Amino acid sequence: MAIEVDQIVDAKGLSCPMPIVRTKKAVSALQPGQVVEVQATDKGSLADIQAWAKSSGHHYLGTKQDGEVLKHYLRKASEAEEKKELTYPHVIQNDELLKKLETNEKITILDVREPVEYHFGHIPGSLSIPLGELENRLDELNRDHEIFVVCRSGSRSDLACKLLEENGFKHVKNVVQGMIEWNGPLETAE
Amino acid sequence: MSGKVAIIASNGGLFDAYKVFNIAAAAAASEKEVGIFFTFEGLNLIHKEAHKALPIPEGREHIKEGFEKQNVPGIPEMLETAKDLGVKLFACQMTMDVMGLEKDDFVDGIEVAGAAAFVEYASDANLTLTF
Repeated sequence: MAIEVDQIVDAKGLSCPMPIVRTKKAVSALQPGQVVEVQATDKGSLADIQAWAKSSGHHYLGTKQDGEVLKHYLRKASEAEEKKELTYPHVIQNDELLKKLETNEKITILDVREPVEYHFGHIPGSLSIPLGELENRLDELNRDHEIFVVCRSGSRSDLACKLLEENGFKHVKNVVQGMIEWNGPLETAE
Repeated sequence: MSGKVAIIASNGGLFDAYKVFNIAAAAAASEKEVGIFFTFEGLNLIHKEAHKALPIPEGREHIKEGFEKQNVPGIPEMLETAKDLGVKLFACQMTMDVMGLEKDDFVDGIEVAGAAAFVEYASDANLTLTF
């Protein structure tokens, strides 16, 4: 499965520290929230990219191996998201949602993160519609169902909840904490 | 996240140059403020001509092929990369005087500084390295 990204960095054939240097330059030019794919053949890049993400504050999403090429996925951090000023009032905690899942209640979980974030781990059965596409894809959702909206930290899902409410959805809840603190089962798109 | 790295480069071989510039570039790419103080043989690493042809330790000449095979960038490119990422380069005034070198003998963009200036720079660094 091809993964949609905003930019591809070709660092194939380059040795340490060039994959990191190229990544840094590419990420500097991105908008917050955008996703980059870094292609590298340097085996050390697997550890280095993760360490770089940790020290620069950006989000390491995962790595796929394609023959000799390692494809690393990163998302540029967004200050607005980290502030987490959530204003949508109807929320549910991660563990409450987990309980609903465990009792096999039939519920709709809407994941509004980018496709690549969804790819590397999402709640089983959740539906993927990135926040940027939600307004044009409302028809895929049932207005009468209870919908639980999740993202990485609860920030994008807060915006998604408000968008749904404005469009007449009545039973929408924001999953606060979000995937960053999710301890329940995960599914990958592989 | 952020932080400051202070490096002293006091040796002038090819391997020394890689140690210094690799760490400096990686740190700068990781949003650290990085400064390198070049002193004694280390001045070769930023000398206009010398940095293009740094010596490999005797008996280790075969490693040159390894560098080429692994597509490791040359020192001039590493130096440019470091400058590009905002790494500050300080040449030691005292060693320059002893060796009869002027600021013009070095690549563009360096600053000339004394030991006290580097100590001041390094005094709030999170990491200080000597090569």
